[in-house]
Amino acid sequence: MSKVESGMESMIDMYIFETNTLLEQLDEILLRTEEAQTFTDDDINEIFRIMHTVKGSSAMMGFDDLQLLAHKGEELFFIIRENPDHLEDVSFVYDLVFRMSDLFKAEIELIQAEGDYVATDFSEVLADLEKGASMLTDETNTSVRTSGGIDASHGESPEDWGDDVVTVRIYFQEGCKMENLRSFLLLNKIREEAEVKDYSPKDIENDPNASDIIIEEGFTVTFKADNNDSILKLVENAINVESYEIIHKDSGKAENAETAHHEEEPAESAAVPEAVEFVPEKPAKIPAPETAVAVPATPTANTNQAAQLNAGKQSIISVNLAKLDQLHDIVGEIITTESMVISNPELEGLKLESFLKSARELKKLTDELQDTVMSIRMVPLAGPFQKMNRIVRDMKMKLGKDAELKIEGENTEVDKTIVDSLNDPLMHLVRNCMDHGIENSVEERLERDKPAKATITLNAVSSSGEVVITVSDDGAGIDTEKVLRKAEMNGLLMKPASEYTEREIQNMILLPGFSTNDVVTEFSGRGVGMDVVRDNIEKCGGSLTVESKAGFGTTFIIKIPLTLAIIQGMEVKVHDTVFAIPISTIRQSFKVQNSEIINDTQRGEMIMIRGECYPIMRLHEKFVIPSEITDFEDGILLLVETDGKCVCLFADRLIGEQQVVVKPFPSYLSRYNIKGAGLSGCTIMGDGSISLIIDVANLIESY
Amino acid sequence: MATTSSLFAQNVKSDKTTRVEKEEEITKALTFAIGDQVYGIEIPYVVEIIGVPKITRVPCAEVPYFIKGIINVRSKVVPVVNMRSCFGKEEVEYNEKTCTIIVALNDISVGLIVDEVLEVLSVMQKNIAKTPDLSNVNENKFIEYILEMNDGIKLILDIKKIIFDHDLMISMM
Repeated sequence: MSKVESGMESMIDMYIFETNTLLEQLDEILLRTEEAQTFTDDDINEIFRIMHTVKGSSAMMGFDDLQLLAHKGEELFFIIRENPDHLEDVSFVYDLVFRMSDLFKAEIELIQAEGDYVATDFSEVLADLEKGASMLTDETNTSVRTSGGIDASHGESPEDWGDDVVTVRIYFQEGCKMENLRSFLLLNKIREEAEVKDYSPKDIENDPNASDIIIEEGFTVTFKADNNDSILKLVENAINVESYEIIHKDSGKAENAETAHHEEEPAESAAVPEAVEFVPEKPAKIPAPETAVAVPATPTANTNQAAQLNAGKQSIISVNLAKLDQLHDIVGEIITTESMVISNPELEGLKLESFLKSARELKKLTDELQDTVMSIRMVPLAGPFQKMNRIVRDMKMKLGKDAELKIEGENTEVDKTIVDSLNDPLMHLVRNCMDHGIENSVEERLERDKPAKATITLNAVSSSGEVVITVSDDGAGIDTEKVLRKAEMNGLLMKPASEYTEREIQNMILLPGFSTNDVVTEFSGRGVGMDVVRDNIEKCGGSLTVESKAGFGTTFIIKIPLTLAIIQGMEVKVHDTVFAIPISTIRQSFKVQNSEIINDTQRGEMIMIRGECYPIMRLHEKFVIPSEITDFEDGILLLVETDGKCVCLFADRLIGEQQVVVKPFPSYLSRYNIKGAGLSGCTIMGDGSISLIIDVANLIESY
Repeated sequence: MATTSSLFAQNVKSDKTTRVEKEEEITKALTFAIGDQVYGIEIPYVVEIIGVPKITRVPCAEVPYFIKGIINVRSKVVPVVNMRSCFGKEEVEYNEKTCTIIVALNDISVGLIVDEVLEVLSVMQKNIAKTPDLSNVNENKFIEYILEMNDGIKLILDIKKIIFDHDLMISMM
């Protein structure tokens, strides 16, 4: 079956993005308030708003189950909101809401996943939510309305309203659908500006029949405001309002005082009418199509106008990543073209003072442009870091270990793609710290003079082109003997056990098929995990190492590049081919005398540097390039190192250091093992020609 | 890219409106020469025609000889194939008539180096040789159909084979 009604596919990305953002906000609030053990009014309102929006958008997308779930959650918080003083024991509320939020996330993942979507059965949670709601109701013994509607002020009779009230009858465009909800939205907006005295029909939020009445008789609102004109203007500009008329109080009869025509707003708002056709009987806000404008600032910021009014408050927009990639490509093109123009051979020998001045100006601007585009792709690590709070909380409950999570440096920024791929590894590492790192009993901790409450620290710092993220605990540390025994058992030892250094043993836990935990737990201990974590990190160009001190804790160190797309490279020339070698792998470059070369009949040419012997790889031989420079004295040697393995590369000459934009080889060539030959990709240089990026690890491997 | 393809698109449009026997035109083909033989590629696959830019060889033993390397086509890295060596002919030095035709299928772009680009012609149903006996034609395996025009026969290439069937290409060498 199709996941959503036809015509809604384009909205689904937006829906998923928005709902995920809201759920993350929800988790954040819950975690914060759980710590403080109280809900402030703001928190309750915020949660209520989140529930309400999720409910609305789920209904709009036709996910009835999700809508119902959110509705129950909303109901629960409605009760809490109405009776905030009676909140004594709310711990069960947290469990309920966390459960609900998890279900939501899982469901959204299902929706996101490929293939058919089958709605999950939420009946159990729904029942619990209802039970929770009734518990609260019993507790407070107050009658509670079950819907989120805000009623008009009661207790005043029309006679008390005074003379300056205005009654307006509003007609919506024919066939715009959901007139009751449109009225409700409009009503809320009027409420922001004025005091609403009365409106008709009454039950617009919950009664779909109200639509018919509104179509027939129009929607009547009576309000009192300091500036009636501004309210009328608001009504006039509202979406889908066909016309409105002001009714004189005494006559109570419609008089065509003013009729405003309102053209259907083009494009975006046109999507709304069809979008809301199948909203079930429950009330729903109608998120405007441009919900990409992140996090509406007010509960009613869900319509076109409101979004515009709030434009000043919103400083973040979300952009499709593909568009950013495109922008990035174009900027790359501009820079390439720029250098083609500025260093055009036809300009040689000409005296061009003002040209060069303008060229420098242009260069400055394009550099700035490039930096800006790069910075757009950078997002702070706060997102994935904050998610770990939740993991720690859940693990705390399940394992009965007391721990707190300390987050440092969460403002460090990393490329968006990398941040996305960090979520899983971080989660595994934090789980590992909770499960294996921290001692099983408080006594063990107290014996070692450690506080009963364990600390897990997440830290991120950026240094020289890479970001170093550490996940550390103050637990028992890695038991090297146990690791060694286990490794021996699993046949992971490559040399006699006594020859392993402590560091090597510690890093064994990152090997595939290694798990020291004897009991397989829900969270970790299946022996997959650490190696998967390492693979995931290596996939985005990073590395994972572990450091541990017995009795004092374990630290996992993740090093990842700031961005995937750009590396600092040293360009070297071999005949007419230019290679870029990642700067991070180069230890030194130097000239040699032929007398320094050691020629071993078995292992080929080698060179002695500071007492160590390194093999020499001639790039022109390796890549079969007809270079004239074959004498070591004419060329240059570069000592490169990766994973502790070193080799000396022989090239004709160095060109210089440059930031290079890594491009993969075209997919036409993907059937050939180019990577295995020691090339990881290519890059376009300033003059438009292509240089090849050397993958040092594979190059050494292939040697 | 945009300009070239839209130019073609325009051609198609204007031709269609003026042509009387328009139902006969199936598609258009860009023809080019390799040696004395005229080949063609259906226009929808053609992205653009450029000269021969600086080609960077991909130094990997596995990459077959007819893939000459990669070129930079406005910040896109595109592999180039020499059609001469692809058809088992001797390579000649590039001259001012040598062109690279960039073709694309399913997001995969390839540059084809040809001796000379000739013209864009209409492919009419009546010109397509019926179930031709291809056994005498040396490069038959790449040919989708043969056009018999007044000025000679033109062999229309199957782009899918050129882009996906590397083994066939290797066997041709």
